[in-house]
Amino acid sequence: MTETGPSSNAAKWVRSASGKDIPLDADGFLINIDDWDEEATRALAQADGVKELTEAQWAVIRFLRAFYLDQGKAPLNHKLKAGTGLSMMELETMFPGGIKNTAPRWAGLPNSRGCR
Amino acid sequence: MGAKKVKVKINGVWRQFIVDADRVLLDALRQDLHLTGAKQSCDRQGQCGACTVIVNGKAARSCLTKVVNLDGAEVITIEGLGTPENPHLIQEAFVLAGAVQCGYCTPGMIMAAKGLLDRNPNPTVQDIKEALRHNLCRCTGYNKIVEAVQLAGSFLRGEGSPDQLRTKPSSEPIGVSHLRPWSYLKACGAAEFSADIIVPGALELAVVRSPHYNALIKGIDTTIAELMPGVVGVMTAKDVKGTNSTGEMMADQPLLCDKHAAVLGAPIAVVAAETREQALAASGKVLIDYEIQPAFLNPAETVADDAPQIHDDQPNVCYTRRQVRGDAEEGLRPSAVRLDQHYFTQMVHQAAVEPEAAVAYLEGDGEEAQLIVIGRSITIHHHAEVLQQALGWDNIRYIEAFCGGQFGIKIDITSEGLAGAAALHFKRPVRYIPGLYESFLMTTKRHPFWMDLRLGADRDGKLTALAIDFIVDNGAYTSIGPVVVDRALEMLSGGYYFPSVSATSKLVYTNNAWGGAARGAGPPQVNFALESAMDELALELNMDPLEFRLLNVLKPGQPTSSGQIVEEWAYGACLERLRPIYEAARKVAAEYNGGPIRRGVGVAGASFGVGSAGDISNVAVELEDDGSLTIYASVADPGEGNDAMLTQIAAHVMGWPRDRINLVTRDTELTPNSGESAGSRQTYMSGRALVKALEDLKQAMKESGARTRADLVKAEKPARFLATNKVTLTGLDENGQGDPYDSRVHGVQLAEVEVNTETGEVRIVKMTAVVDPGVILNPLAVTGQIEGGMDMGAGWALREEYVLGQTKDWRTYKFPTMQTSFDMETILLESPRKNGPLGATGVGEFTLMPTAPAVNNAIFNAVGVRIRELPATPDKIRSSLAGLQRA
Repeated sequence: MTETGPSSNAAKWVRSASGKDIPLDADGFLINIDDWDEEATRALAQADGVKELTEAQWAVIRFLRAFYLDQGKAPLNHKLKAGTGLSMMELETMFPGGIKNTAPRWAGLPNSRGCR
Repeated sequence: MGAKKVKVKINGVWRQFIVDADRVLLDALRQDLHLTGAKQSCDRQGQCGACTVIVNGKAARSCLTKVVNLDGAEVITIEGLGTPENPHLIQEAFVLAGAVQCGYCTPGMIMAAKGLLDRNPNPTVQDIKEALRHNLCRCTGYNKIVEAVQLAGSFLRGEGSPDQLRTKPSSEPIGVSHLRPWSYLKACGAAEFSADIIVPGALELAVVRSPHYNALIKGIDTTIAELMPGVVGVMTAKDVKGTNSTGEMMADQPLLCDKHAAVLGAPIAVVAAETREQALAASGKVLIDYEIQPAFLNPAETVADDAPQIHDDQPNVCYTRRQVRGDAEEGLRPSAVRLDQHYFTQMVHQAAVEPEAAVAYLEGDGEEAQLIVIGRSITIHHHAEVLQQALGWDNIRYIEAFCGGQFGIKIDITSEGLAGAAALHFKRPVRYIPGLYESFLMTTKRHPFWMDLRLGADRDGKLTALAIDFIVDNGAYTSIGPVVVDRALEMLSGGYYFPSVSATSKLVYTNNAWGGAARGAGPPQVNFALESAMDELALELNMDPLEFRLLNVLKPGQPTSSGQIVEEWAYGACLERLRPIYEAARKVAAEYNGGPIRRGVGVAGASFGVGSAGDISNVAVELEDDGSLTIYASVADPGEGNDAMLTQIAAHVMGWPRDRINLVTRDTELTPNSGESAGSRQTYMSGRALVKALEDLKQAMKESGARTRADLVKAEKPARFLATNKVTLTGLDENGQGDPYDSRVHGVQLAEVEVNTETGEVRIVKMTAVVDPGVILNPLAVTGQIEGGMDMGAGWALREEYVLGQTKDWRTYKFPTMQTSFDMETILLESPRKNGPLGATGVGEFTLMPTAPAVNNAIFNAVGVRIRELPATPDKIRSSLAGLQRA
C-alpha cells in the first residue's frame, strides 16, 4: 500500500487577538469549552472570514452559551427560536454556513457529534 | 379453514379467542391481551426463545404455538409469574445472579427455566443447557443464566432464600453487587421496549427496500399500493421536509433514497396502513423502476484510482490516516527476527436480540406541535438534533425505551428516522416494527479489516518495530468509519512498547453493508493481527508466548504507538497474575497429545483507551422535598448496568442508602446531555461528572445545614447542581501522534480449547480473564461485561459472519447459544485510576478484544495450524491440517 495523505480528523488551533492558541477539534469546535471568551468567538469568526460580529449575532451567541451552561445541553431549534425571538430562517441567514454549523462553534459549545 | 373459537386460561383467567388457523400465541398475547412480556426477535421462526411461555405445564415457544390448538389449555406468561413488587423465586434468582443485562431475552429465559424446574428442581448444568437450548442471549455469555437457574432451584428446594443474598439499601455502596434498579422490571416482563408500546390508533409502517446491491431509481409508482385495503398513504423521499439524511460525518445516508440505492435493502418508500399486515401487503405493490448497476462488495475492487465510484460526490477512498513514530523501516531492517503476515477479520453483526422498533407521534397542533420519537438511542440528545435537521421539524423530543442490547448499533439513527418522518407526513401516530431480517438491512456492522503487519525483534526478544497497512471496508455509508480508523491507530500497539511504529490506513466505499460502531470499534480488528503476530514471533524466537509478551510490556514513562507517555500501565500485572494459571493449563494440554482431540492453550491481551480527547458529559443532581435526591443524566443503559453505577456512586458520595436516589435518564426534555453510551465511557465520564455535581450539592447542604429542598430554598441556595466532566486532550496530529485517552483498561485472557483433527471442530473448554478496570463499583456488573464480551469474541473467532443478502436470521448468522457456551473465570485487579470516578474506569468494550486472538493462538497450540483469516471455521482448520500433513 502506498503512503496515505494527512488525516482529516486531526486537531487544529485558532489564535485569539491576545495571542492565545486555542485547540479545536477537526470540525472547528473548542476542545475545552472553558477556553471560550469573547476573544475566542472573534477569532473563530475571523477564521470563517467574518471581521466583526453584529449585535444580533452576539445575542444568539450569548443565548447559546447561557443555555448550555444552565442546562448542560445545546438548545434544540424550538428552544432556540423561543430564546432568541427569531425564526429559523432568520437564524439560518444570520451565520455563514448556517446556524447549526457556525453559531454553536462560535459560542464555544462542544461538538455535538455522537462519537469521537 | 375459517375462524375458530377457542378458550384458553391465561394467567388464571379464561380468555376467548376467535382466530384463524395461522394465529400464533405470541401475537394473541401481545396484540390482543397486551401481555408484552413475551418478546419477538427471530421473525417467529422459533430461533430465539424470547417468546417462551408455559403451556399446559411445559415451556413452549409462543411464536410456534397455534392458538387454534389451545382450546382448554392453560398458559402462564411472565406476567403470571410475579411482579416487580412480588417477584417469583426464579425472577429473584435471575436478578440476584446478575443474569439480567438488557433484559430482552430474560422473560423467555425465565419461563424456559420454570418449565425445567417444575419437572426437575435440581438440574445439572447439562440439563439447564439442554432445556434452555432454544433461548438466545447476547449480553451475558450464558454462564450467569446457568447460575441463575441453579440458584432458582435451590430457592425452590428451600435451600436458601433471596433475603439471604439481597443487599440492604444501607449496606456499603461501592464494591458490592447491589441489584440493578431496573432489573426486576426486566425480569417480570414489565420493562417496555419500543415494540411493547401501544399507541391507540397508530398507523403501522412497512418499508419498501431495494432488492438490488446497487441500482439507480428511475421511477416510483405508488398508485396500486395506495388503493390496497387499510392503506393510508405511501411516503417517498420527496415527502421528507428536511435534509433526508442522517449521515453525520459524511452526508451519504438518505432516510429514503430517491435516485440511487447504493446497497441491498436501501429504503425507498414507506407504506402506512391501519395494520402491519396491510402495510406489508401494500409494500409489495409499490412499483419501482430500477436500473441495475454493477455491485462492488470488496474494497479490492474499489480502492484503485480508476475504479468506478460508489457515490458520485465522494471518492471511494473516503478517509485515510497514518501513524509515524520513529523510523519503523530502520527499526525492522536489523531485526534478528522479522514477521511479515497478512491478517483478515470478517464482517460481523453486533447482533442485539431486539429488532429495530420505533414509535413516533405528534403532541399538540400545527407547526409548534412536538414530535415525540420513542426508540432505543444511546445518544438521545444528539439524535434529536440529527432528526430535527433530517426531518425539517424544530420541536422534537426523544424518549428512550428500554433497549434490548445494541453493542454500538444505536450510535446511529435506525428505525426512528422513518417513524418520525412518517408521523410528520401522515399526521398520525405511527409504529414501525420491522422484522429481524429488515433490522439486519438497516443497521451497521463491524468493519472488515485487511491488514498487512510486520513485526521485528532482536535476539533477546525485544520488539524493534511495528508496521501495519490496513484497508477497511466502509460499505455503502460512512456512519462513524473515520472514528473506527482513528481508534484502531490510537490503540495500535496494544499493551506493548515498540521503539518505532508506522501505519497507513484507507477507508473505502463499497456496495456492501456499511460498518459502524461495534463493541470496541476498530481496535479489536488490529488487536487480532497484533496478538496473533506476537505468538508467531515468539515461535520464531523459540520463546514462550506469555514470557515474550511480559518482556515487551509498555512501562510507565514509555510511549504508546501514538507517542502518549503513560503514567499507569497495569497490563504487565495482568500477565503476571495469569502466569501460574497459564502454566497449569499448558501442563494439562500437553497430556492431550494422542487421539483425534487435541487440546491447546493460547494467551492474548489488550489495553483499551477510555475518555477520549474532547469528550464531555453533563450530569445534574437535585435535592427533593422529601430529602431524596434525583440524578438527571442522559446515560442510556442498554444492559451494562449504568443504573447501578449512577445510584451506587451517589449513595457512596452522599453517604445515603441507595433507596434515597432517584434516576431520570431517558428523556431529552428532562436531562442534560451526558453523551453516548459507547466507547466504554459512561462510568468514566458521567460517573465523574456525577461525583462533581454531588460534591457541589453536599457543600451547599453543609453550608446551610439543609436536609431537604425546602431547607436549601430557605437558605437561598440552589437545589439543583449541574456538573461537567471533560477531557481536554487534543488527540492525534496528522502523523497520528498525540494523547488520545485519559484512561485505560487492561487485561489478558487465556483460552483452553479442544480441536477435533478429523472434523476441524473447535470446542472452547474454558476462558480465563484477568482484568484491571480500576476500582470496581459493582463486581457482578463488571464480570457480566467480561463474560458477555468473551462469548461475543469467541463467536467472532470461530463462527459468526455477516454476509449481506445471505445472513437472514439468527441461525444463518450462527448466533452463539447455550450449546456453544463455555466455562469462564474472571480475576479482577483493582489499581485505582487517577481521574476515574472513585478510581474506576470503563470496561464494556475491551472485554472481547483478547478473546479472538487467544482462541486462535490456542488452536495453533493444539494442532499447529495458524488461521489468519477469521472466522476459524472447521473447514479452514481441516483444510490447513491437510496442508500441514502434505507438507
